[in-house]
Amino acid sequence: MAEASKKKSFKVVPPGKKKCIWMEAGVVSYKLCDHNFDCQTCSYDQGMQLKVARQRASLTAVPVAQPLPDEFTPTWVEKEMQLPAHRRRCRYMLTGEVDRKICANAYECGNCAFDQMMQDRQQPSQLPVQAHASVGGFELAEGVYYHDGHTWARPEYGGRVRVGLDDFARKLVGRLRQLSIPEVGQAVKQGEAAMELQRNGSRVRALAPVDGIVTHVNYEVLNNPSLIQESPYEGGWLFIIEPTRLRKNLKNLYFGEEAQSYLEEERERLFARVHEDDRIAADGGPSMDDITADLKDEDWSTLVKEFLRS
Amino acid sequence: MSIRTDHPPGVIIHPLGPVPASILQHLAISVQDRCQISCLVGESMENPGYAQDPEREQYSCKRILQQLHRCCTPHSWQVLAVTEIDLFVPILKYVFGAAQMEGRCAVISLHRLRPQFYGDEEDEQLLLERLVKTALHELGHSLGLTHCRRRTCVMYSSTRIDDTDAKMADFCPTCRELFRWRLQGTG
Repeated sequence: MAEASKKKSFKVVPPGKKKCIWMEAGVVSYKLCDHNFDCQTCSYDQGMQLKVARQRASLTAVPVAQPLPDEFTPTWVEKEMQLPAHRRRCRYMLTGEVDRKICANAYECGNCAFDQMMQDRQQPSQLPVQAHASVGGFELAEGVYYHDGHTWARPEYGGRVRVGLDDFARKLVGRLRQLSIPEVGQAVKQGEAAMELQRNGSRVRALAPVDGIVTHVNYEVLNNPSLIQESPYEGGWLFIIEPTRLRKNLKNLYFGEEAQSYLEEERERLFARVHEDDRIAADGGPSMDDITADLKDEDWSTLVKEFLRS
Repeated sequence: MSIRTDHPPGVIIHPLGPVPASILQHLAISVQDRCQISCLVGESMENPGYAQDPEREQYSCKRILQQLHRCCTPHSWQVLAVTEIDLFVPILKYVFGAAQMEGRCAVISLHRLRPQFYGDEEDEQLLLERLVKTALHELGHSLGLTHCRRRTCVMYSSTRIDDTDAKMADFCPTCRELFRWRLQGTG
């Protein structure tokens, strides 16, 4: 009876989630990817690889005449390799990044030209933001983690993390004259200064949201800082990191409803800070696009430093 | 100019520039009913040309509130000015209303409360609902209440007019208790 009901059950993949490559290949019945297809640093993938290796080691001691044990688990590559050549799906097809691509390279991705092209294409180009939420006139992008120093981090396919300034920072710093961001190969640490923003001769630092090594820099935003004003979560991204302590770092960042609450608090704090002398409270209106330009008596760097926590 | 204080403690509503008397009368009755405090319509005050900001082409709440504060007598409890002009405070693009936190003066603009501003047809009932909500919100600030996280509470911060329409013309239980407690303290 239990078996019958088990057979009837079907696996639901929630919207926005993706199947683990082991599930996609049919090795395991149900597993969703929670590591952005960064299989090399995924503990589940490592566990599965270890399990396969152990089973394979135990099989070598078994006489050839003996039947294979039922619980033998092939790797997802082996599972795909059991299929006819015209049905062996490329790993980018398995992860849904391309509609159709058959592997003609026996899953030796290291010397596959298509894999190299995909790696080169994916990393620097920004991914579209799925949805925005507005908190008191400040935009929050979904699927993004927020640092309390108003920088954002978005884990992407392949395990890299894209970094930028959030909408609160965008409106607070206003039109920047110049921007300094770390060079490729430079190490950055969560909560430590990684960028420098310049306006009217004043400089303010902004903090890195996660630890890691910089792998790509957005040269377009360096040449044209107004891209941050146009779209802080897309064209205005700053750099991409190969993270070194991602899981630990993400626990220190705001996400989803927590990010909304944090932004509401920051909005109230900013309003109270700006109106602390006249003690005005108000109902209405989103913030100006260039907040400090609206404050004639306020020093740009003092106010920005206070909220970017640098 | 001084402000009449016939029934202190209470709220005196002053038109700041030309404002229809029927709107002010409705507001006075609504505030009196909902807050259980005396509320009357005071004399008209001049259009606040002194508060005009040429760059923003709006009127500064800060300057209006300073002027209202100067006109207050020691006995008046709360002055609520209602105007047709478009108001702002620094860092916000516009405001529906503003008040001195734990102070005695507040100002409300009808400019962005009118449905016509958003391209909709004239709707007096909707305008009055929005006006009462904004008035209660500003009175709450005058008594020291801060913004509430509950979207239906009148103390919820309205970024857009949709936020005002979504909230009730009443305080949530927590804000209501705080409002009463602060009101008793001022009485």
